[in-house]
This record gives sequence, structure tokens and C-alpha cells, in this order.
Amino acid sequence: MASEELDQPLITFTQDVGNESIRLKIIGLGGAGNNAVDRLKLDDLTRVNLAVVNTDSQVLSISPLEEQLLIGRATTRGLGAGGEAEIGRQAAEADRAQLAKLAGGADLIFLLAGLGGGTGSGATPVLAEVAAEAGAVVIAFVTLPFTFEGQRRHRQADESLSRLREICHAVIPLPNDVLLQQMDEDASVLDAFALADQWISRGVRGIWSMLFQTGLINVDFASLRKAFENRGGKTLFGVGSGKGEDCAGRALNDLLLCPLLHTPEFSRRADSLIVNIVGGTDLSMAKVNEIMGLVTEKFGSRYETVLGAVIDERMQNTVEICVLGTTEINPGQRLRQQQNRPQMPAHIAKNIESAPHPTPSPMGSPRLFPKSTRRRKLQREDSQGEFQFAGTDEQRGCFDATERNYYNGEDLDVPTYLRRGLKIRL
Amino acid sequence: MGNDRIIGAIEIGTSKVVVLVGEVVGDRSLNIVGMGQSTSMGVRKGEIVNFGAASNATHAAIMAAEKSAGTTIEMVYLTQTGGHLDGFFSFGAANVSASDGLVLRADIESTVANAKRKQPPPGRVYIHHINNGFRLDGRAVDDPQTMKGERLEVGYWHVHGDERKVSDQIHVINGFGLQVQDIILSSIASGCMVADEEARKSGVLVIDIGCGTTDYALYFNGCVARTGVVRIGGDHLTNDLSIGLRISRKHAENLKLQFGKAVIDKSDKNDAIWLFGDLTIGDRKISKGAIYQIIHARVEEIFSIIKRELGDHLDPHKIPAGVILSGGCSGLRKIAEESTRVLGVTTRVGENPAWVLESVRQPEYSSVLGVLYYGLTAQRTAGSEQSERGIFRKMARMLNFA
Repeated sequence: MASEELDQPLITFTQDVGNESIRLKIIGLGGAGNNAVDRLKLDDLTRVNLAVVNTDSQVLSISPLEEQLLIGRATTRGLGAGGEAEIGRQAAEADRAQLAKLAGGADLIFLLAGLGGGTGSGATPVLAEVAAEAGAVVIAFVTLPFTFEGQRRHRQADESLSRLREICHAVIPLPNDVLLQQMDEDASVLDAFALADQWISRGVRGIWSMLFQTGLINVDFASLRKAFENRGGKTLFGVGSGKGEDCAGRALNDLLLCPLLHTPEFSRRADSLIVNIVGGTDLSMAKVNEIMGLVTEKFGSRYETVLGAVIDERMQNTVEICVLGTTEINPGQRLRQQQNRPQMPAHIAKNIESAPHPTPSPMGSPRLFPKSTRRRKLQREDSQGEFQFAGTDEQRGCFDATERNYYNGEDLDVPTYLRRGLKIRL
Repeated sequence: MGNDRIIGAIEIGTSKVVVLVGEVVGDRSLNIVGMGQSTSMGVRKGEIVNFGAASNATHAAIMAAEKSAGTTIEMVYLTQTGGHLDGFFSFGAANVSASDGLVLRADIESTVANAKRKQPPPGRVYIHHINNGFRLDGRAVDDPQTMKGERLEVGYWHVHGDERKVSDQIHVINGFGLQVQDIILSSIASGCMVADEEARKSGVLVIDIGCGTTDYALYFNGCVARTGVVRIGGDHLTNDLSIGLRISRKHAENLKLQFGKAVIDKSDKNDAIWLFGDLTIGDRKISKGAIYQIIHARVEEIFSIIKRELGDHLDPHKIPAGVILSGGCSGLRKIAEESTRVLGVTTRVGENPAWVLESVRQPEYSSVLGVLYYGLTAQRTAGSEQSERGIFRKMARMLNFA
């Protein structure tokens, strides 16, 4: 009896501390962001505040959430930003004080937005800036427009994305094109958007369980903050889950096929990496060990890897893996360029110049693609312990020794399915 | 020998080197008298990357061809492909000088010179100037000479290539002690084989998907109006499969030939096949769906690049004869279906004419056959008109097959 009495307050005490220490807030901006927040299935996620921000009062009025903020009333009269990122930005700038109030007091803020439109592209960087100034860790989940949505929206999305990368601690882009590729052909556009929301939800949940659920090995907020203290790089993010017998193996497989890890600009080596595993009570330490071994081998970080393993009783016979990391922080980029310049033979440079119609692609990604390949080459030189033969030819195969085959900024020698982020069902 | 001349048509391709030997007997008949072939080495994406290896392979093929023909080749016509090729369109115009308004030979010459006035960029060399027909006061005329009008115009499609890369191929042939008489774009060579005159007259797009590159030629009114090279070929399909399925190139090539298909059908998504099929170590099941997915993505890309390059010129109404595929990769299952879908123009796989030897009738020989045909025709008419008209005139005339 005595011990029970002792235990009881102890537990509430820890929960209280948990409540006090990390305040998580999820804010959706613009139409797509609002929808994403509304649709987050968070029944079982506790200690989370939700809020929506928009320039369109009509969209706000249908949101079931209590915490709403209409920005730019003076500039747009609550009628929306009309797809103009500049108007979205002005609206947010005008109501900076209110945004600060909205973001204030939270330690971790998730921003959900669809880039390409007005409010999403324009206001998100402003809110991110305000939130980061207030001292919160800011993680943005942003969807990128479909190709068919046109050049203009892509350009806006691209500009906004690069701004967000400067400001946020982590930015996880979800290209709609890539997400759509794993759907059936007869899927509707609504299905596609629902799928994007689902991925956002999976992502948020992955990070949430990393921080709030407890288990074998905990990842705490401080390590999250530390991993993301260098901003300006790209974020590596992937989730995978598996059920039934050999759930660990299946989860791992699923993770490797995660479309978010197959966007062309993705570099498979992280600078720092957080790996979180959620499983039922049957999740053994040996299994955790096995998963960690494989994950770190695949995404191995250069500086630091933080491991977490969480037990959730509802997840019997199920394993979920979530990886979150940073890549290509600025100093590394500078180093990379310096070291690469003398290595680049003149004929490659010439080839780039003479490539037909070298217009920059709207996504900006294809140009980054060859860069990241080069980066991997460089990294292999850095770390001597790795295999020498498993790197670049993964992408170019027998064309490895030939001139790069640029068309429209893409290297055609790299398999099309890789550049398109197509998921191959083996 | 007298009037008979022995000529060789050579294609230094990415997968193989083919040499055809033909002879012109008397005035009329054209015969293929010999053939030699070797596995190509040192060629990637249609361009020579290893001169020594490419030379050895080519010389072996020439020797085999000469042996099978039982004679020596006197002159060589060569195909040309590679991503370095580029082209542009230009117009030339001149006012009719004579007071009676009849077009003189000098007017035609100055119009043509006007169209060809532009120098190739530094380091580039012109390969073809292709006449796209004269217009006299806006109406299209076949031969404007002694016709009445005021202003004569002409359109030209110019193809130029990297001087170094073009001369690489010529040096390989020279290394065997043979002279290269002329070089012909692969796409145009294929075009004159798989598309008959009627198709070329009404408008047709010929796409030759080889091992290293995809070459295309667009015909309007019997003229080559546009040509182009996409630096993707069958090699890329193999490479994609080998990377995507994590198998060796050899096995990837086998899978491509045995099971490759350009479209994904709903029904065969769950089929799987054994990699080796002999239950040895390392044998594993590979889903056909994965093979189709990888191939489909690549094939779709090839056609969408062509679509993008041709832009407005790719109009089903302008090319009623549709799209004709040739080259080794045209054997891929359902590739015509995919092309029809992406390009929006009815596509069929081309066939070489029936007079061609059965052993070289497959679509992969289209371009080298075309070059031989070109060479033989050029030789046949040699002496009669060509000598006085000059090489460009001759080329333009031949290429249009007017």
C-alpha cells in the first residue's frame, strides 16, 4: 500500500514535468495546411496544441479548431492571397505580433503548409522566423505542387522552400508528384491530397512518439534540438512500418522504400541522425540492435547518431521506424565546392554548357542531384572505413566513367525511376 | 572492274560494328555482296571513348566483310550519331534578278548561299545542309528554274557536330587505309529505309532507338525538316534494370530481351520470374511488375524528350503517316503502344524493304542499310549530274530522295 501511494504521485509528477517541459504546437498555414491540421488523426496524441492560420476567413470558418488566426486583414480583407506569395508574405508581416503570440511559449512547432499557393508560400517563412526567434524548434512539413500545377507555382514553392531551409531547424518536403506515384492510376486528386495529409500525419506522429513516448532508449528534446542546431541544410526524413512475423524486417524494407527518401535531391548520408523505433512489448533489445545496425549502415551519419526505442503496448507485432537527420549543412557545401572545383574536368564543364536548353528546372532539384552524387564521392574519401565500390555506380552503373548526360539539368544516365522517385516493388 | 564499284557502309554503333559491302553493277542494279559484324568496344552513347578498342572492333568487322564479299572495299560511307549533334533551321532569300522575272540558276545559287551563310560555331562542323524546298513568292516549288516570280526563298535544316568527335570516327576508318566518302546521320539513313517515299512525302517521324542513342528525323513534304539525337538508348534500359533490380548487366540484358515490355498492364503486376531459372545459388524471383516499371519509366522519358524537342512540329495532322520506330530497341514489346500514348501520334514498328537480305532485315540494321543505299545511289548517279552540282547540292538532293 505504502509503495502504491508513493508510486502514484511519482507518476503524475513525471507527467506533469513532461507537460511543462515540452509544449508542442502544430500550426497549419494556408488552405492545404489547414486541411492537413484538420485531418491529423491525433486522438491518441496527447499534449499537442493545434492552430490554423490563413488569409481566407472562409476557410478558417469551416475549421473545427478553436485556435485560429486570420492574418493580413488589412491587405486582403480576409479574402485570401489569390495565389500570390508576395501578398501572403505581406499579410504575415503585417500581423507579425499576433503570429509571435501564436507561436510563443511552444518549444517545438510543426508548421504544415502546401507550398505553391499564396498563404502557404508567403506566410510560412515569416511564421517560421517568428517562431525560431521565440526560441522554439521549428520543423516544417511542406507539400510541393504537382508538375501539372504549372511553372509559377513551382517557382513560388521553390523560393519558399529555400527560405524555409534557412530558417527552420528541419524542413521535410513532400513532393506531390512523388507521393502520387505510389498510388493506383485511377486515384483521384482528392485521394492524392489525402495521401499527402496522411504522410504529414505519419511524420508528425513519428516525431511525436520519439519525444513523448517512453521506452527502452529515450530520445529527449535536447538531443533533437542539438541535432538541428545547424540550420540551412536539408532534412532527411523517412518512416517505415511492418506488421506480423518478421515485422522488423518488413519495417526496414518499408523504410527503404519510403518515397520521401527517394526524392532525387536526397543524399543518403546524414550529418547527424536520429533513429526512433516503436514496437510492442515483444520488441526485444536484440531486434532493436539489429534494426539500428542496418539503419545506421544505410544512412550512417558522420558526426552523431541518436538512437531511440519506444514501447507501445498497442503495437504488438508491429514495428515502426522513423529516421530524421540533417544533410548538407552549409560549411560542408562550401568545402565540397572547393574540393570539387579542380576535380571537375573541363569537358564536363563544357558539357554542362553545351547541354541543350539548360533552363533551370522549376523544382531546382535536378541540378542538385548531380551535386549530391559528387558529395557522396567526396564523403567516401573522407571516411576510409567504407567500401570503395558501393557508391556512385549505384546511380550511373556502366555509364559511370562517361561524360555526364545532361538534358534540362538532369543526368539522363541515372535511371529514370530514381530521378522520378518511383517506388519499385521488388 | 570497269563501271562496277565496291562500297562499304559502316556503322560504329554502341553495341556492335556493322559493315555492309555493296556493289553497283552497270547502271541499275544494287547488290549487297558482303557483311561483317563485330561486338563494339570503346563506344558509349554513340561516341568513341576508347579509340584503340573501337579501331580494333571496326577493323575486325571490315576484314570479315571483305572476306565475305571476296573483294576489297574501295570507299566508305559512315553513319553518324551521338549527343554532340545539333541542328538549326535557317531561311535564305533573294530577289529574282532578271528583268523578265524568270528565275536563273544564279538566283537559286545566291538564295542557297544566303541560307547557308551562317558559319558553324567554333569547334563544330556541318554534317548536312538539308534543303527543305524552294518557295517562289510564297508558293512551294520543286525546281524554280525558269519559273516566273519576284522573290525566291529556301529553307534549310543544318546539322552540325563536334569536330573532334566526327573526326574520331573518320580516323578509325582511315586507320584501315580506307577513305570516308561521306557521313550520313543515322536517323536520316534509317528514315530512307523504314519510311517509303509516300510516307516521307505526306509527313512522317522516324525514331531509331539504338543501343546508345535515339535518333529521330521528321519529314515534311519529302524533306528532312528536323533531326535530333537523344542520348538514351537500349543500354540505358539494361543499366536501369541492373541498378534497380541489383543484378549484373548480363542478366539485366537477358531480362530485357526476354521479358521487357514498355507498358505496364494491370494483369501482370504480380507475376514473378526466376532470375536464372536453373535453381542455382543466387537464383531469385524477380517481379515482372518491377521490370516493367523500370522500363516503362525510361521509355516514357525517351518519347517525352522527343516530344519536347519537336514541340509544335509534332502535330498528328502534319505527319499523317505517323511515327515509325526502328533500331534494336524497337523490338521491345508494346513500345509502339507507349509511343502512341506519349507522342499522341499513331506509331508502328518499321520494317526494312523486302529486297534486303534476310540476315540483315531486322530493324537494328536500318541505319547501316540506309547508308549503303545512300552510297550506292550516290555512286550510281555519279558522273551524270553530281559532278557539276557540288557536294552540298548532291547531298541535299540525295537526302531528300527527290
